[in-house]
Amino acid sequence: MLKKTLVTVAALALGAGTAFAHVSLQLKEAPVGSTYRAIFQVPHGCEGKPTNTVRVQIPEGVIAVKSQPKAGWKLDKIKGPYAKSYDYYGTPTSEGVKEVVWSGGALADDEYDEFVLRVYLTKDLKAGETLYFPVVQECPDGMAERWIEIPAKGQSADDLELPAPGVTLIEAVAGH
Amino acid sequence: MLAWNRSLGRSGILALLAGLLWCCLAGMAMAHASLTGAVPPDGAVMGAPPKTLSLSFSEPVSPLVLKLIRPDGQATALDDFILRDTTLDITTPDGLGAGTHVLTWRVVSEDGHPVAGSTIFSIGAPSKGPQAEGAPIDWPLRSALWLARIAMYVGLFFGIGGVFVTRWLTPGETPRLARAATLLGLVATALSLGLQGLDALGAPLAALFDPAVWKAGFATSFGATVVVLSAGFCLAVAAARSGSAALGRAASLMALLAGSGALALSGHASAAAPQWLTRPAVFVHAITIAIWIGALLPLAAALRGDPDVGRQALGRFFRLIPLCVALLVLAGLLLAAIQVRDPAALLSTAYGKVLLAKGALLAVLFGVVALNRWILTGPAAEGDCKAVRRLRKSIAVEILIVVAVLAAASAWRFTPPPRALAVTAAQPASVHIHADKAMAQVAITPGHAGPVAISAVVLSPDFSPLAAKDVTFVLSNAQAGIEPMRRKAALQADGTWLASDVVVPLAGQWQLRIDILISDFELLRLQDAITLRP
Repeated sequence: MLKKTLVTVAALALGAGTAFAHVSLQLKEAPVGSTYRAIFQVPHGCEGKPTNTVRVQIPEGVIAVKSQPKAGWKLDKIKGPYAKSYDYYGTPTSEGVKEVVWSGGALADDEYDEFVLRVYLTKDLKAGETLYFPVVQECPDGMAERWIEIPAKGQSADDLELPAPGVTLIEAVAGH
Repeated sequence: MLAWNRSLGRSGILALLAGLLWCCLAGMAMAHASLTGAVPPDGAVMGAPPKTLSLSFSEPVSPLVLKLIRPDGQATALDDFILRDTTLDITTPDGLGAGTHVLTWRVVSEDGHPVAGSTIFSIGAPSKGPQAEGAPIDWPLRSALWLARIAMYVGLFFGIGGVFVTRWLTPGETPRLARAATLLGLVATALSLGLQGLDALGAPLAALFDPAVWKAGFATSFGATVVVLSAGFCLAVAAARSGSAALGRAASLMALLAGSGALALSGHASAAAPQWLTRPAVFVHAITIAIWIGALLPLAAALRGDPDVGRQALGRFFRLIPLCVALLVLAGLLLAAIQVRDPAALLSTAYGKVLLAKGALLAVLFGVVALNRWILTGPAAEGDCKAVRRLRKSIAVEILIVVAVLAAASAWRFTPPPRALAVTAAQPASVHIHADKAMAQVAITPGHAGPVAISAVVLSPDFSPLAAKDVTFVLSNAQAGIEPMRRKAALQADGTWLASDVVVPLAGQWQLRIDILISDFELLRLQDAITLRP
């Protein structure tokens, strides 16, 4: 029992330094109808292998995507039409970035990095819901970690093996 | 005592700290440690028990459950472990035997979110799983079925065969014993229908007078055999009584053809593939036995009567019989080869043992026949009274051995041939899993514990093929405490997904999950239970 406790403590103490084990968003809450800095935290590679590519799928209702370049990584923006037209400060917008890809890098399994997007969360998104950004980490030899599961109704992200990182949407800030 | 208290106090503070840390972290993250390596590697087959067991994770973990499940299904808790950075080193428990072991784990990492999995390794060779115990045997019914089967054979070979031989080969009346055998065969055949029905329904002997039992017996493939064989017996009775030689000959020939054909309509041998070969082989086997065995009673009768007539009959018998016996042996060997397949099955299966016993009896029989042919027939044909008497005695011995051979062959009624056993053992376990977005037809082949292949066809709900990027099978067994084991499938040329390197360590009900990656960002999970035989 004592041993188990000590091991738990050790695990937790060490864990505190290494942050999160799967890809997550640093900022957990954001109001709709505003700009959001989506900071993806990537804590490890694929079963010991380094991460070479990070792909983020942009969900519907998220527009005006601007990705932050990273030294040593090639940045690609895959564009396409949205499911509908969204209002961006009075301008209807019907197409834009659907996927962002950082590739050609090497993030070792025991290293940590962040990948940043600046996006606009349209008012078509519902406050109170969670918005998910599916992320795929690609590693050498065709290995990949896919954080792409979105909880079904009645499920929580904790029930999932490979939960997509999410942000809780809150009411639009008054006066905006 | 003081030291213990102090250490207890310290551990209490540490536990509190751990709890605080846990609370902070749990609010911030949902972490999943992932397994990065195992010793022995997942699926390994090794000559000797491993010296150490270890599990490496992507981050430090604390085990909640660490168990080793042995080949007999017994779980051993692994309490002696140490965490070195991100690797758990576990002391191997003593006394690991041969077979497949499952190292099953559930660990918690920094956020208190448990992650679980299993890795397996085999010592010597993967376990095949224990043999299943069959249903209890209803011995009275089994004995009745066996005796009826013997009586049926006696009726066919001594009765119908005897009538045929007296009508075509030897002069005089049909021997009384052959007539009795015909009637015995007719009664036994009719009775067999009811017994077969009891066996099919699993009913006891007492239920013999229930009409449903007879209907059930008739519905089996044996029903056709009973009808045709009964017709054969009736024809043989008519042939034996007929005053007209021509009518008698025609009826006895038809009886012989019907009787031999009836055996080819049902039974293990007739059911074997290829049927174009096995059914004619059964027919040839039966008809040649009928002629050879059928000749024994008339021959004994002829030898008892007029010496000249007996001598003539003996001569005809020995011209015809070698051809008969050659065909008989040829057809018999062919059927045995198809049924047994692997010579090792001769000793390992009940069917093989019966075949060996039958072969031994036949060897004795052929010895007696040879004795007749080369030592006694010559003097008997020349009219040596002593030789004739000895020949008759030897024919009586032959008849007794033949009955023993028939008794052995009747025992096959209860022993599935190795061919059928192999087919049963290879039978896959399968399950159809249906969900909103996809469905899968999954088969585990063979459907028993041990090394298996898992294959799946994944379809859209409208039955069109579903283009998947990746398919992974995940097996777990909550009852046995085995956490999920993952096996990646490879796409085959025919469109099925196959994982062939899987060892299922235990029989029973497993949870099977199929993770279907539709695109880089879309994953479907289908899940259902599947039962594997021991």
